Amino acid sequence: MAVVAQSSKFNRMFWPILAWGIAIVFFFPIFWLIFTSFKTDADAVKPDHLFWFKPTFDNYLNMTENYDYWRFAINSVITSTFATVLALVVGVPAAYAMAFNPTRRTKDILLWMLSTKMLPAAAVLYPMTFLTKNFLDIYDTHFLVILVLCLINLPIVVWMLFTYFKEIPREIIEAGKMDGVSTWGEIKDILIPLAWGGVASTALLCFIFCWNEAYWTVRLTTTEAATLSKLIEGNRAPEGLFFGRLSAVSTAAVAPIIILGWFCQKQLVKGLTFGAVK
Amino acid sequence: MSKRTLPRLLQAPAVLLLLFWMLIPLGMTLYFSSIRYVLNSLRKPEWTTPSLSNWRGLGNYEYVLFNAKDFWFAVQNSVFIVTSIIILTVVLGLAIAMLINRSFPGRGIVRVLLISPFFVMPAVNAVLWINMILDPVLGLNGLAVDGLNALIGGLKDFPVLGAFFSLWPEIEPVSFRATQTSAYAVIIMVTWQWTPFAILIFMTSLQSEDQQQKEAAILDGANAWSQFRNLTLPHLARPIAIVVMIQAIFHLSLYAEIEIVSRGNGNKNLPYLIGDFVNNNIGAASATGIFAVILANIVAIFLLRMVGKSLMD
Repeated sequence: MAVVAQSSKFNRMFWPILAWGIAIVFFFPIFWLIFTSFKTDADAVKPDHLFWFKPTFDNYLNMTENYDYWRFAINSVITSTFATVLALVVGVPAAYAMAFNPTRRTKDILLWMLSTKMLPAAAVLYPMTFLTKNFLDIYDTHFLVILVLCLINLPIVVWMLFTYFKEIPREIIEAGKMDGVSTWGEIKDILIPLAWGGVASTALLCFIFCWNEAYWTVRLTTTEAATLSKLIEGNRAPEGLFFGRLSAVSTAAVAPIIILGWFCQKQLVKGLTFGAVK
Repeated sequence: MSKRTLPRLLQAPAVLLLLFWMLIPLGMTLYFSSIRYVLNSLRKPEWTTPSLSNWRGLGNYEYVLFNAKDFWFAVQNSVFIVTSIIILTVVLGLAIAMLINRSFPGRGIVRVLLISPFFVMPAVNAVLWINMILDPVLGLNGLAVDGLNALIGGLKDFPVLGAFFSLWPEIEPVSFRATQTSAYAVIIMVTWQWTPFAILIFMTSLQSEDQQQKEAAILDGANAWSQFRNLTLPHLARPIAIVVMIQAIFHLSLYAEIEIVSRGNGNKNLPYLIGDFVNNNIGAASATGIFAVILANIVAIFLLRMVGKSLMD
């Protein structure tokens, strides 16, 4: 018995401490980014000032001057928001039809949609540049970024919505039909209120992916519609001269999404697994 | 309007948009891949405009397969990076998910800390790791090695132990921008970002594990390993498949991290190689693009088969 008691005490102490240790290791790079953002550029590379330094807010105060942060941030907000809205406007009716009027082909369509996500973006990079620059003249516009962000996330949006809608009992929708509610009314008054949580977390995840996207937003923009990804990629200081200010602008670029993620981590799981994990 | 028409109409915008998105650029890529098309050529100015009169047939494919020096390296490297990341994230994710699948003080905070890296944008992830952490001079990597060297240097002055430590060589920090190591830098930073994703999904799945079954196994004297092997692992089969699939989708097209770490120096994957070609040789870029599509499809067929079945029920 003594052995058992001892081992359970060991278990009670050891595993939580290990878990805390690992969590701290995982969070450390983010902590370090935030920490460095309060150092001057000179302090940021001095080993003597690794942990002890005079904190400064200058990096944040000069962010507009150094990097024109707000212009990029506003572009990120605009493009991510509209791309998410557009993806929902197109995705909700599609997912609704698939969930409540499935045919033999529904499964194939869903898998095909997912497979378009596997199409390597780089394979179609030049045609996209060519088309948008020479023919359509929409290169480096918000419209183009919104459209592309919407398209690359549409498969995931449809999948997630489909998963959530499928859980709504079909009888409820059918009862609505009996009462002579129109399709639009069904979606607006029955489906959306019932699947509100699902729609919200789909929108959220879509927004996060749009915000973090770093291929098309970098390659299809120059200045007008450039987002935060472009800003950071354009300013990676290779000589390490600007660690302080680079940390500040990076922190400002990721903070909104990390905080958003913290609030909705639980809802995100279900969407991310397409409902296959209960 | 028949009963079938309305659902079709509702799906039409999504299906058509994706169809255009896939077919038009892909069709153009196919076309460019079979003609001579470069952006700058003093010798052959007629090659700088796409036209059927510059037809090259399979010439670009042949060039990419047999003459372009980085092609096979890029294929290998793409597979190497994706496989390493997937193996590391699944193993780490499983271990950590099991570790925090119990109640202990501050579990909520541990969860929040663990999940955070997943939300960091890839550009920031790469800038942060390569400059501030892995840099051999200014990053924590360099500082830690300096500190270690100083410590050993100090120990050399001790009477008896000093003789032992004086045999130690000066340690050199590893540079992760170098040709041989830049792929590891990318693997480290992406693993850091995606392990939280694996943890999140495995943890959710572990919570629905049948506890009675587990207790019965313990009563039967099953040890921890055989519980894991025979009960937990089969229960996690589906989430593991999903973690593998989603990561394959995302990591086959890795780009920003590779660009920021070494500008592809010693560490090209297929998307990066295409980016290189696009600077001048559009024909070769397009042919490489088609090869990338083929590679992605091979992976997709396996994965979608595997996961597709379990998704629908």
